[in-house]
Amino acid sequence: MFSSRASNWHFDQSKPEDKKPVKNFLKFLVPLAVALAVSVDAKEIKLLNVSYDPTRELYAEYNTAFAKYWKAKTGDDVTVSQSHGGSGKQAQSVIAGLAADVVTLALSYDIDAISQQAKLLPADWQNRLPDNSTPYTSTIVFLVRKGNPKLIKNWDDLVKQNISVVVPNPKTSGGARWAYLGAYAYALETCGHDDAKAKNFITKLYKNVPILDSGARGSTITFAQRGIGDVLLAWENEAHLALKEFGADNFEIVTPPLSILAEPPVAVVDKNAKRHGTTEIAMAYLNYLYSDEGQEIAAKNFYRPRNEAIAAKYAANFTRLKLVTVDQEFGGWAKAQQTHFTDGGVFDQVYQPN
Amino acid sequence: MKDNKFWLATALGAQLAFTSLAADNTDTNRDADIEALKQQINALSQKVETLENQRALDQQASTNTASGQIQELDQKVRILSRERELDQEAAAGAAKTQPKLAVGANGFIASSADSNFVFSLNGLIQVDSRTFFDDSAIKSNDGLLLRRMRPIFQGTLWRDFDFKFMPDFAPSTPTLFDAYGNYRYEPWLQLRAGKFKTPEGLEQLQDDVNIQFNERSLVTDLVPNRDVGLQLWGDIDGGVMSYAAGIFNGVGDARNSSNAAYENGVEFAGRLFTQPFKSSSLAALQGAGFGVAGTSQNGTSSATDLPNTTGGTLAGYTTDGQQQFFAYNPASGNTIVAAGQHWRLSPQASYYYGPASLFGEYAISDQDVRNSNTGVEADLHNTAWEITGGWMLTGENASFAGVTPLHPFNPQTGEWGAFQVVARYAALEVDPHAFPAFANPATSASEARAWSAGLNWYLNKNIRLDASFSHTTFTGGGGTGTIVPEIVTRQPENVFFTRIQLAF
Repeated sequence: MFSSRASNWHFDQSKPEDKKPVKNFLKFLVPLAVALAVSVDAKEIKLLNVSYDPTRELYAEYNTAFAKYWKAKTGDDVTVSQSHGGSGKQAQSVIAGLAADVVTLALSYDIDAISQQAKLLPADWQNRLPDNSTPYTSTIVFLVRKGNPKLIKNWDDLVKQNISVVVPNPKTSGGARWAYLGAYAYALETCGHDDAKAKNFITKLYKNVPILDSGARGSTITFAQRGIGDVLLAWENEAHLALKEFGADNFEIVTPPLSILAEPPVAVVDKNAKRHGTTEIAMAYLNYLYSDEGQEIAAKNFYRPRNEAIAAKYAANFTRLKLVTVDQEFGGWAKAQQTHFTDGGVFDQVYQPN
Repeated sequence: MKDNKFWLATALGAQLAFTSLAADNTDTNRDADIEALKQQINALSQKVETLENQRALDQQASTNTASGQIQELDQKVRILSRERELDQEAAAGAAKTQPKLAVGANGFIASSADSNFVFSLNGLIQVDSRTFFDDSAIKSNDGLLLRRMRPIFQGTLWRDFDFKFMPDFAPSTPTLFDAYGNYRYEPWLQLRAGKFKTPEGLEQLQDDVNIQFNERSLVTDLVPNRDVGLQLWGDIDGGVMSYAAGIFNGVGDARNSSNAAYENGVEFAGRLFTQPFKSSSLAALQGAGFGVAGTSQNGTSSATDLPNTTGGTLAGYTTDGQQQFFAYNPASGNTIVAAGQHWRLSPQASYYYGPASLFGEYAISDQDVRNSNTGVEADLHNTAWEITGGWMLTGENASFAGVTPLHPFNPQTGEWGAFQVVARYAALEVDPHAFPAFANPATSASEARAWSAGLNWYLNKNIRLDASFSHTTFTGGGGTGTIVPEIVTRQPENVFFTRIQLAF
C-alpha cells in the first residue's frame, strides 16, 4: 500500500555517548521497519479523473478495462474515481484544489486555464500525447422529437419562429461552446464569412433558447425528461445515449450537413499526480485511451476514434458530414474564448434571458 | 345542420306545390316556373353548403388555436418548473460554498465549505472529591478539587495541517499541556511537532476524558507524560497497525515537560501497536490489540528531573490518591541526580468486545542515578504492571475512545444513560538497589500494590459521574516523621473518589 520512509531515518551517531541510546532505540525501530516493509508489495492505487458531463458512461467502461489491464501488467489494483460536471466548472474546481490526477475535459481551453491559473501542469501539455492529446473526437448534432414534427434539418431551421432550442450555457459547459461555435461556423460558411450576419444569426438562434442549463447532461434532462423544446443541441455521443436511455421511439437524431469538430483533450495534472505518487500510472491511464481497446470503447460509446481501423469498424455509428475546426474558423481556442465567451463577449451581447 | 336542410326543402316543396296548382292551365308557364324554382333550390342548397363548410372551418381554426395556446402554455409551465429546479440546484450548489457552523455534542465546530479549514472549541472540566480513611496523620488530603479545567482549541489548516492547543487552568499555575502542529500527508504518514504525549504508556495515551478511574494506575508512574519533540507517526489500514517514532527533550517518569530541554542528550521514543483483526469479520477479535513501546536517553540532569524528591512539587511515584510513596531521599539528605542511561520498555495489550473491556501493560524504567555528594552510582530497574477490566451494565460497546450511551439520561422518559463497573489491580516495585544510597528505606516504600473498583455513570456523551474506591498497600517506608512519603507509607491508603466530568 505504501513504502516505508521511516526506515530510512538516520540519527546522529557521531557522539560516543549517544551510541547506546541509538542502539536501544533501533531495537524499537527495527520491528517498525519490518512491519512497514511487509506492506510494500500490496499496492492499491487510487486515481481521480475529473471529466465533463457526458463522459460518465465512457469512463465507467474504460476504467474497468484499464484496471484489468494494469492488474495484468503490474499486479497492482487501481481504482479510478470520476467527477463530472460542466467542463468549465470542473476546470475551476481543479484550480480551486480538487486533487485530480488526470483531467479529461471538453476543450483544451479549460485545461489551459488549469495550467495558467494554477500552474498544475506545463503550458505545452497538449504536446505530450498524440493528436494534440485528444484520443477521440466528437461533434454537435440535433436531437429532435420522434417524427421531427418541426422539420428541423439544418442550422437555419433553428432560427425560425416557434422553434424552441435547448442547449447549455457556454459560460459553464464545454459542449455548449462547441454548439455555439458550430452554429456560428455554419453562419459564417453560408453568409460568405460576414461576421455581422453570423452574429445576427446567432442572436436569432439564442432568442429561441428558453433555458440554459449549466452542463450537457442537464440540458438532456431538460429536453428529454422535462419535455421542453423542439430540438436539443447535443454532443453526438450524448444524443445516442439519450436514444438509448429515453427510447428511440421518442426521439431521433438529425445530423446537420455541417458541424464543428469537437476535440476533447486529456492531460495528467502533474503536480497533483506527483504529490500522490501516481504520475506513472496517470500517464499510462491516458496512453491506454489510444490503445485498440481504449479506442474501441470510445467508439462503442459514440466518440469518434482516432484509430482509422477502429473508426472504419464503427463507421455505421457516425454519419458523415462536413466538420470544420476551431482553428480554421475562429483562429484557435484562445481567440474564440476571448471573442465569444469572456464577459462582455459576443455571447453576452447576443443572449438575453427570456 | 340536417334539420335546417329538412325545413328548407319542406318550404320549397310547399311553395312548388302551391305554384303548380295555381298555374295548372298554362304548361309553358308552369315549366318555366318549375325551372326557376329548381334554380332557386340549387342556389339555396349551395348557400347552405357554403355556410356549413365555413362553419366547419371556423370550428377547426378555433380548435387549432386553442391547441396551440395550450401547448404554448404547457411549454411555459415546463420551462418555469425547470427554471425553479435549476434555481434550487444552484442554491444547493451555492450552499456548498458557504462556511459551516455546528454546535453539538462534539463542541463548537466551524469549517470552510470544503472542510479544508476547521476550527473547533472543546472543553474538559473535572471536579473530584477524595476522601481518605484511617490516615489521621495526613491533614490536608481530603476534600474537593478541580482536577482538570481545559479549554481545547484544535483544527485544521489547508486540509492537511492540524493543530491543537490545550492549557489547563486547574493547577494553581496554568499549565500548557498540548501545543502542537501536525502534518497529515496520509493517515499512515504524519509528522507532529510541539508538545504532546510521548508514545509510551497505554493508559497514559488514553485521552483524559476516557480513563476509567479518576487517576491512572501505578504503571503511569514509570512512563513520561507530555514532552516537547518531533514525531513521525501514523495509522495503517485504519488502525490495524499504528506506529510512532520520535525525538524528544526527555522528561523524568510521570513528568510533564517544562517546555524546555534540561540536558543535551535527546530522548528517542517509539511505539508499535497492532489490532490485527480490526478489519476482519471476526467480531470477537476485532477489538484485540497489542504492542510495545520504549524510550531511550543518555544524559545527566539535576535532581528535579528525577521522578521526585522530598519537597518536590510535582507528582512522581504516587499512589492512586496522588500521594507520594517513593522519593529519591536518602537519609543523608544528599541530592540524587540522573547520571547516564535511562530507558523504558512497555509491552501492552487491550481487548474490547461488546460491553467488555480489558487492558493491561507492563513498564520498566531503567535509570542510572548518582548520589551527587558521595559519587556513588547505580543502575536502577523499576517496574510496574496493571490490569484493568470493565463491563457496561447497560449494554453499550466499550472502547478505548470512550462510551456513547444508548439511552441518554432523560428521567421523564425513563432513560438513565449508561453504567459501567470497572476494576483494576496494579503494582510498582522500586529496585532494591535504590536503598539506602538513593532513597531512605525508612520513609520511601519499595513496593506499592493497589486494587480499585468503581462505578461510572455516563449520563450522555458529555456528562459523566464516577465513584470508585482504591486500596493501596506498601512494602517498606513507614517512619515516624510528619512529612511525605513516610506519613503516606505508614499505613495502607484507602481512598474514595467521586468525579463530575463535563466534556464537549
